[in-house]
Amino acid sequence: MAEVNIICIGCPLGCTATLTIGDGGEVAAITGCECKAGEKYVVEEYKNPVRVLTATVVTQGSPQPLLPVRTAVPIPKAKLLPGMKVLAKTRVKPPVKIGDVVIPNLLDTGIDVASTSDLAI
Amino acid sequence: MTLRDVDVAVIGSGPAGMAAAIKAKETGAENVVIMERAEQLGGLLHQCIHNGFGLLYFKEDLTGPEYAHRFVEKVMDSGVRPLLQTMVVGISPHRDVTAVSSQEGYITFRAKSIVLAMGCRERTRGALNIPGGRPAGIFTAGTAQRLVNVEGFVPGKKVVILGSGDVGMIMARRLTLEGAKVEAVVEILPYVGGLIRNEVQCLHDFNIPLLLEHTVSRIHGEKRVEAVTVARVDKDKNPIAGTGRQIECDTLLLSVGLIPENELSLMAGVELAPITGGPVVDEGRQTSVPGIFAGGNVVHVHDLVDNVSWESELAGQSAAEFIIGGKRAAGRRVNLKPGRNIRYIVPHTVSGEKEVSLYMRVNEPEEDVRLKVGSIMTKTVRAVKPGEMLKLELSQAQLSKLKEGTAEIVVDCEERGDR
Ligand code: SF4
Repeated sequence: MAEVNIICIGCPLGCTATLTIGDGGEVAAITGCECKAGEKYVVEEYKNPVRVLTATVVTQGSPQPLLPVRTAVPIPKAKLLPGMKVLAKTRVKPPVKIGDVVIPNLLDTGIDVASTSDLAI
Repeated sequence: MTLRDVDVAVIGSGPAGMAAAIKAKETGAENVVIMERAEQLGGLLHQCIHNGFGLLYFKEDLTGPEYAHRFVEKVMDSGVRPLLQTMVVGISPHRDVTAVSSQEGYITFRAKSIVLAMGCRERTRGALNIPGGRPAGIFTAGTAQRLVNVEGFVPGKKVVILGSGDVGMIMARRLTLEGAKVEAVVEILPYVGGLIRNEVQCLHDFNIPLLLEHTVSRIHGEKRVEAVTVARVDKDKNPIAGTGRQIECDTLLLSVGLIPENELSLMAGVELAPITGGPVVDEGRQTSVPGIFAGGNVVHVHDLVDNVSWESELAGQSAAEFIIGGKRAAGRRVNLKPGRNIRYIVPHTVSGEKEVSLYMRVNEPEEDVRLKVGSIMTKTVRAVKPGEMLKLELSQAQLSKLKEGTAEIVVDCEERGDR
């Protein structure tokens, strides 16, 4: 048995939940959440913490030096910094439209990195 | 000098200005213009490349540029006329708007109504009085955001951030992702200034130390920042002698508050509220000067853009109605007065004639409270924090409980004795 603390971000109360983790990695008990929605969130956050990666890539041949991008949907938290390494090596050329895929299948997550803005020549 | 007549002049094209202009047009105003000093519509949204925008308004998790794009498209479809590279330099109480335009030079617009949507600016080091030299390497968080996200410069390698406002925390994450080391986020208050989700996803996710009840008491370095001294503060927020320690860094970011941008409002004779720093407004967001309306961060600093858009739609609608039917006859005005643990309430007055949303902030964090609007409504809330704006919706039925002749309603945040 182990204990993990996770802060719920569901409302300004910011409850600190304590999850008791069984030997098989399953959540055996939760204390500290003030509501059911919060319990659901902290279990999800324990099992599979995901975040949208937002950043920029360097452009070539545009007056705008950077193009803002995002992962289309959240990716595992552990892939944020490795994902940045891929973005750092990427260059884009105009024209790019908002929503265009800039990097397909980032780090084999099956999730694309897409432009969040137009890029003019 | 060129003179031109317009119906509604909207000043600023950030989320507030765009929402106001679109709504003014939809409400029936014909000649609606947005004046924007930059080369594109959208204001600061372009440099806010992170997500978390539009969760309420669009029920989607958008980035700043995506949120801007949705509104820019609507502006283009609506028939609103954007005037780019047009910087407003003066507004008269009679609604003459003077601007300098790259296309037309010095130009005056005679507006039938005006919406102020200039947003806010950051508090700078000058407002803080931190001892030390004047080395390079001190930036406001918003300036750093522009450098990193738009211009393509990362301002430093080892960074200390003073203030735990949302922009500061978001920059802590952004700089970490770009390879800088954020040594600490230093907050003078005993609690975080920004949203809880930013504390978790920007600081905890990257193990960035948060020092509550601490401040930067000295900046070291001649040419470039070399270190800062961080010290614990007492209850009067003064550094406690002997608690200081040096943190080596090459960059100090300041995220120490935002101030509504109201120089133009003052020129027009608009009355400002001392607490918010923005215009005193009624429920339609009309200021003290008839025909001049205001919405968004120029009125009070918001934490969610969604509320900026909604508030500014109200301002845009009222600005159109002012022209069309003269519908805004001076009706009843009931003052809203902040009571226990309420810092401010916007709007400052209500008519009592139609439903209205109250936006407010508390002074101190509290748990298990009851928000009480005079004797017409109560709502229990689990937790309140100064960094998280509260929104209360008053229905027509609740407002009809107001007694004839009521001049003032006090809004309180009370402790709940029953838990
Ligand atoms: S558990 Fe419920 S009450 Fe606690 S922070 Fe999460 S949403 Fe709020």
